[in-house]
Amino acid sequence: MHNSAPPNNGHSPSEFDLPVDEVSCQHFVELVTEYFEGALSARTLSRVEEHLVMCDWCVTYVEQMRATIASLRELTDERSPEPPDSVVAALRSRRAGGA
Amino acid sequence: MQPEPAVAAARMAVSDEQTLAALRAGDEGAFRDLFARSYPMMKRVARSYVASDAVAEEIVQETWMAIVTGIDRFEGRSALGTWIFSILTNQAKTHSAREKRAMPFSCVATSGDEEPAVDPDRFQKDDDAWPGHWATPPRPWQKPERRLLSLEARDHLKAALSQLPDRQRLIVGLRDVEGHSAEEVCNLLGLSQENQRVLLHRGRSRLRAVLEEYLDAADV
Repeated sequence: MHNSAPPNNGHSPSEFDLPVDEVSCQHFVELVTEYFEGALSARTLSRVEEHLVMCDWCVTYVEQMRATIASLRELTDERSPEPPDSVVAALRSRRAGGA
Repeated sequence: MQPEPAVAAARMAVSDEQTLAALRAGDEGAFRDLFARSYPMMKRVARSYVASDAVAEEIVQETWMAIVTGIDRFEGRSALGTWIFSILTNQAKTHSAREKRAMPFSCVATSGDEEPAVDPDRFQKDDDAWPGHWATPPRPWQKPERRLLSLEARDHLKAALSQLPDRQRLIVGLRDVEGHSAEEVCNLLGLSQENQRVLLHRGRSRLRAVLEEYLDAADV
């Protein structure tokens, strides 16, 4: 096995990213965020990917997590209020040469 | 989960030097643009310190007044955003002290809120056939046309987000709602990648669980 990249791509592993032979479902749900962030050790990532090949339920969990995140993105309020008049006035007085 | 390219590009379009020059010259257009772009993030950060949206909005307004009146004093030793952020947090802390609230980041970032991502009862125990595997697995969510979630489910999600513990709400807000990158959030808040990830994980896990409960009940 040749892996010249630093383990975890330089990230420090979380308490859940331990060397294991197999990732269980209960373990996977704690690793899912690191999985999305690309922060798992190479070894744990392999175990996670092996698990997801075999476990439709955890695939469903991943889809639910993705749907949750995508829905959060829709919550953004694109409209910002106008700046307060007092601040605009202070800014304008700069143009007029005031401090 | 990267921000859309347009959003990220807009944020990077104007350099610190250009912005600083514009503010010093009293350029209203540049100011309004910066105000609008920064507002969601500034309000979220302010809101993590205080108990109401109204007070958070006040903090942001006070911050901008301090920026505009104090811009000549900015010496450029730090990035403009860092300076703005430090004014914001100082204003927020003043209000927070008045409310006698604990600061959201005053204690070690990962202390407290230790609940697991999923209720352990959902998994098989050590004496079951497949320990650690799902006992009550997640069910696929019905997807209404054209939307990931119905409007009602989205309102429920919004309410659940507002009820997260302060730090989780802030991180999920900045990362997942506003689309800031992990690096931006860590730099902004002085958090390690790992600490930021732990808060993100807890917040997202809680929100998924809330949505699951809501959607499962809606199916019945």
